[in-house]
Amino acid sequence: MSDARAIEAELLAFLQREIFAPSLAVTAETDLVAAGFDSMSLVRVLLFVETNYGFWIPEREITNDALRNVRALAATVTRLLHER
Amino acid sequence: MNLTELLDGTTSRWPQKPAFIEGDTIVSYAELGDTIARMTAQLRAFGMIPGTRVGLCHPNSVAYVALTFALWRLQAIVVPIPTECTSEETTAITETMQLEAVISQTPGGESVTLTPEGYITRLTPATLPDNHGLNIAFIRFTSGTTHERKGVVLSHETVRDRVVAANAALRIGPEDTVMWCLPMAHHFLITIVLYLSQGATIVLTRQVLARPFLETANRWRASVLYASPFHYALLARDRSDLTLPSVRLAVSTTCALPEDVAEDFVRRFGLPLVQALGIIELGLVSLNADDPRGRWNSVGRPLKTHRVRIVAPEADGVGEVAIAGPGFFDAYAAPWLPRENVLHDGWFHTGDLGWLDADGFLFLVGRKAAVINLAGRKVFPEEIETVLNRHPAVLESRVFGRRHAHLGEVVEAEVVLAQPHPEAEALRDFCREHLAPYKVPTRLHVVSRLPRTTATGKIRRETALVSHE
Repeated sequence: MSDARAIEAELLAFLQREIFAPSLAVTAETDLVAAGFDSMSLVRVLLFVETNYGFWIPEREITNDALRNVRALAATVTRLLHER
Repeated sequence: MNLTELLDGTTSRWPQKPAFIEGDTIVSYAELGDTIARMTAQLRAFGMIPGTRVGLCHPNSVAYVALTFALWRLQAIVVPIPTECTSEETTAITETMQLEAVISQTPGGESVTLTPEGYITRLTPATLPDNHGLNIAFIRFTSGTTHERKGVVLSHETVRDRVVAANAALRIGPEDTVMWCLPMAHHFLITIVLYLSQGATIVLTRQVLARPFLETANRWRASVLYASPFHYALLARDRSDLTLPSVRLAVSTTCALPEDVAEDFVRRFGLPLVQALGIIELGLVSLNADDPRGRWNSVGRPLKTHRVRIVAPEADGVGEVAIAGPGFFDAYAAPWLPRENVLHDGWFHTGDLGWLDADGFLFLVGRKAAVINLAGRKVFPEEIETVLNRHPAVLESRVFGRRHAHLGEVVEAEVVLAQPHPEAEALRDFCREHLAPYKVPTRLHVVSRLPRTTATGKIRRETALVSHE
């Protein structure tokens, strides 16, 4: 579980630093699409995961549920890491 | 000639037909025409005169389209400013393109409010721009085929010619509904203007994920998809049971289509992806409507109005792709360089490397110039190196594209650093301050020296090959 929490914190820091405006405080529960997450944002998140965790999230995993918020995304990344 | 005539023709024929659908909102051609008329009146009151160069920094919306046509109605020139630009990049566009006004979504110092949305601010360029007597509609700040030439200038006549040529292949008509998900600041003329000239309906969607995209497409019975391989990869791997029964044409553009995406998409939807080659200087050059299943990795035969030849081919037939045809750009803006001084006997040398098969299908395999294509966004290494080299700890740098199975290429950099080394993350922060996010190198490699050519001592550029194998 500590894995998932650490990954969540890393993803959150990344999104806050690189994707969203500083004025928008992103939490683990923020609805990403509603916050303005677009296709280039998605490309950059996928690249961040690949660079930091060593794998490309398969497209079939990139669902509404997985991208609901950072917590859900971190859970997906953690699960895929364990499956490897 | 004015491009507004193309839209006016549609509006008078089908006033009640939907021009745009966004969420639950339907905007008819008559309503779009009314919005344009209101915008035109406000811009006229602002003092907009013919030939004024206006920056348009606005996200995808009906207002973006209405503002563009209102500016054209007043014979002003539209210069798109992508919303992801940093303030430094916006300033570079403003100064290099000698903009005399800018329209944005947020109010500025002395901006005037436009209804229904937008703010316009007057600017004073250091020197007034010279439009060389052309009837200019549009200038796209790029880049072009080389880093040094900025701003592709397109007249109303040029845009009309390329719209007519492109639609002979795309065959968009009033019965079509197009799903739109690409940024209008990068794609507008042989797409949005073309669709509106033919009376099609455009569904604006910000959906990036497969399921909501498919639901929206089916809700409005979309017949045409126009998107990048990245979008199609998401759709191809969707695990729902949604299909695309109303789609007749799915165009893949902006970068090379990976084989697994092409195969998975056909398997998932029973519909082949049709690759297209569009170049900002030329418009739509080719479309693989003839054999998208068998030759999935071809960008197709040239349009009937166009010719393609391979310049100085090697033994394997690969050489630089040159194109001749109508609707070519009028000039580069900065420095001003008329088309005639760029073309070679009417042929435009694209900088793309490719070959033609016996049936005249064009296959692209790479580029002569060191342009990086990140999922369809063009990145010029020199621009990023200029920023990196400004950091006090960077002695020199080299930016290159690394092949990527899902994105075509990703941006990476090698840097030679002074002591003590800053953290790589600090250098990336520095890039983020000055560059649009997609240009920031994904990885920075600290090296002791950069590869140089033995002859001239210049930094060696690898012209990455597009993966078609």
